[in-house]
Amino acid sequence: MQISWNYRSNNTLLQLIPVKHLLVFLFVLLVFTGCAQLKPATVKSTESILPVADSVKLPDVIKTLLAKSDTQYFDDNFTGSLATLERAVRINPRHAEVWSRMAQVYLKLGNEEQAIQHAKRSNSVIKNNIRLKAFNNEIITSNSLKKSQEMSN
Amino acid sequence: MTKSKPRKKSAKKKKARNTKRNFSLSALLFNRYTFTGLTVFVFLFAGYMAYLNIKITEKMSGRIWSLPSHVYARPLELYQGKYLTIEQFKSELQQLGYVQLKSRPSKAGQYRILNNSHFEIISRDFSFWDGKQKSQGFRLNILNNEISVLHQLYSDETLSIFRMEPVKIAGIYPSTRQERQLIKLDEVPDDMVLALLAVEDRRFYQHWGIDPRSILRALLANFMAGGTVQGGSTLTQQLVKNLFLSPERTLTRKINEALMALLLEINYSKSVILETYINEVYLGQSGAQQIHGFELASQYYFANSLRKLRRDQMAMLVGLVKGPSWYAPRRHPKRAKDRRDQVLKLMHEQGALTQAQLNKYKKLDLGLSSKPRFSANRFPALIDLVKRQLKRDYNEDDLKSSGLKVFTSIDPIIQSQAEASVKRVISQLENSNHSVSDLQTSLIVASSQQGEIQAMVSDRKPEFPGFNRSLDAIRQIGSLIKPAIYLTALQQPGKYTLASRLDDSPLHIKTAKEQLWSPQNYDKKFTGDILLIEALKKSRNVPTVRLGLEVGLSDISDTLHNLGVKRKIPTYPSMTLGAFNLSPFDVANMYQTFAANGFNVPLKVIREVLNKDGQPLKRYPLKSDKAIDEKAIYLVNHVLHGVTRTGTARSLAKALPQSLAGKTGTTDDLRDSWFAGFSDNQLAVAWIGRDDNSSTGLTGSSGALRLWTDLFRHLNIQSFSPDRPAGINNRWIDGSSGGLSEKNCQGAVELPFIQGSEPTEKAECKSAGIIDQIIHFFN
Repeated sequence: MQISWNYRSNNTLLQLIPVKHLLVFLFVLLVFTGCAQLKPATVKSTESILPVADSVKLPDVIKTLLAKSDTQYFDDNFTGSLATLERAVRINPRHAEVWSRMAQVYLKLGNEEQAIQHAKRSNSVIKNNIRLKAFNNEIITSNSLKKSQEMSN
Repeated sequence: MTKSKPRKKSAKKKKARNTKRNFSLSALLFNRYTFTGLTVFVFLFAGYMAYLNIKITEKMSGRIWSLPSHVYARPLELYQGKYLTIEQFKSELQQLGYVQLKSRPSKAGQYRILNNSHFEIISRDFSFWDGKQKSQGFRLNILNNEISVLHQLYSDETLSIFRMEPVKIAGIYPSTRQERQLIKLDEVPDDMVLALLAVEDRRFYQHWGIDPRSILRALLANFMAGGTVQGGSTLTQQLVKNLFLSPERTLTRKINEALMALLLEINYSKSVILETYINEVYLGQSGAQQIHGFELASQYYFANSLRKLRRDQMAMLVGLVKGPSWYAPRRHPKRAKDRRDQVLKLMHEQGALTQAQLNKYKKLDLGLSSKPRFSANRFPALIDLVKRQLKRDYNEDDLKSSGLKVFTSIDPIIQSQAEASVKRVISQLENSNHSVSDLQTSLIVASSQQGEIQAMVSDRKPEFPGFNRSLDAIRQIGSLIKPAIYLTALQQPGKYTLASRLDDSPLHIKTAKEQLWSPQNYDKKFTGDILLIEALKKSRNVPTVRLGLEVGLSDISDTLHNLGVKRKIPTYPSMTLGAFNLSPFDVANMYQTFAANGFNVPLKVIREVLNKDGQPLKRYPLKSDKAIDEKAIYLVNHVLHGVTRTGTARSLAKALPQSLAGKTGTTDDLRDSWFAGFSDNQLAVAWIGRDDNSSTGLTGSSGALRLWTDLFRHLNIQSFSPDRPAGINNRWIDGSSGGLSEKNCQGAVELPFIQGSEPTEKAECKSAGIIDQIIHFFN
């Protein structure tokens, strides 16, 4: 028997699934896809440096300094990394990525208060980078909680 | 008794016999008195030698020299798109002592300019806080005041960023005012050592500190010449003289010099002695500073490290030892060249140069750098600030003697603009109104977001190192207080918005001393009701006092502290009009928090400190404190922007195209004229007043604002355009009643509101005329 894929055919797949159900399925799929894009990036570990994908639009000079700062960071030279990020901030303080990395370096230096403040500064100049905002908020909330627990103890 | 006489006789005989024998031996050395005298002498001599030895070893084992600390400006960062004029870059290179060539540069510290916009440069090695940066050749093009190209010198490879070494702008000196830069012996070129020994002490490695042959030769030469023409001192003796003795020419000093030279040779190796000499020797004078040591002299005369000098340049430095003033190369180039040629000849005789090399070098000119690399403190007010901030971490002795390297945010380009603006505007103000005289001023410039001080002028003669008005002139701030009062109110969005109506009618307040105080507006008029935004924009006094009393004086004081003011704030009613004292620096701290959208970054000038060997000692990192709610500060900044468009600083709208924000301030009887304002990248506070606190005849707008405007005309400023924080909604409001309106209604203005605080009551809408609509369209 020749199988016809004409949707009018009795044997078509579409006819096996009611159109109403298909629409609901598509709607749910869309919602999930949307949510997957909007879902905040979870910060598994404060060890990781921010995703480079977020820095694609940055000018070369800032990218160069971020790369240098990363190298210093992974060499455990955190004060050096911070100094390099400060150079980037002096060139242009409107890059949220730079402030956010400073927050991360401050965490490594054990200065949670400044980590929170720099994450807030990052949020104050952030445009549409939802992942970065989620990253900053994670630093702010987790460390604020930690601080309040320490104070209550 | 009878027995005693013969004994006496026999004793006399014995004595006579002994004396006879002593004289007969003619050996004074064995004479009891002589022996005793000699013993005493030997003991005293040994004691004196021990004393000298202690003196030598104490000095040599400890810190031999007091090394002044040096203050550096910010390093100039070069990258594509950076704002930089050709003149600014030329000035930077000149301040760094770079030598301009007509040919392509081949050594560090040289550059050439092609077509007046294309630079070819070879930078110098420099130890920054984060490591050593090696010398690099690069090409740079400046087009329309921007760096358009930044490439490596010998290839087309792009450099994304390059950091020039910073200009040394000042020294913090010990009382001796000796300037020196230490160098290790193994870093000194062999030719340099050879030239030095050939000229000053050929038998250095053979003698024990004193060279009798040299002394005899010198004596003979001096006798023949009938005066002092030659010295017989060895390098060791010269070092002893410089380190331990006074320059007087006495026999005692000469003896001490010889003894100490001997002791120095016994205690220390030839290498140590030579290295110490190379760092100690006096080689010239730069203003009040004495140039000591070959490394510093090399930088002073040639703007280059000793290691990078040509042999003829080394010869010139060696020639200077004989008489740094007499052969001063900048003042007496002919003498200096003759002396250099003598040294070159001696080097040739010692086999260090071939005849061809000798001939070649003798044809060269001295090759001096265009300008000395350092001079006396050019920025006294700024250096005073640096010292004060350093004293929090270092004691006075360390600052003056440990050779610290202090890296700062001082920007010589902005500083020179600030100085020029002060000179220009103060003289304009005095010339345009002859009743105005003896004005004094302060001008502070900082980066808006990082709170780094870039420039500071504290006197109408910026180079005058007197009273530091920026830090120590504590004056009433007048209307500069007002943004803090409105901020306090706007932090209560349920109660106050920009559209709140304030009462601008006569007010009488009973003070704590039972006196009646009736504040006045500057124009002595009352407008009845006025919107909060207009009251601040137009700097109305009476509604501000009412608002201040409503929100509470202690709350205003808290807001000021949150904004970064450290001083105690009085809480009497007239404080709402700024009747309390702050310094320009305090005001800059306060307005920095507005400029950074609520993040308080305490103003600082020092970035890093290194020790004399270039090892990092301390960093002063950027620290922020989210002190104020970002929504409330956004509202106040919206008004401060309005001040520069239609308020008391509206002249700025014509003078500068960029979006700016700021506030004028004037005190009673026009004693103080203030303006504090900012762009996205620069913050500046200007104050004009008189030291005797008498009237200047100037308001904030007619005095300080003119100075501020003149400065900002010459800076690279970016428009102030803060991001609107989440939770802020814009609404169209009726400009007179504060009720909700619509875009096309007459007198409607669009204002930001904290979510939930928007007015709900609707105002009557009269359709806007065509002119209003056109204005709206352009707004």
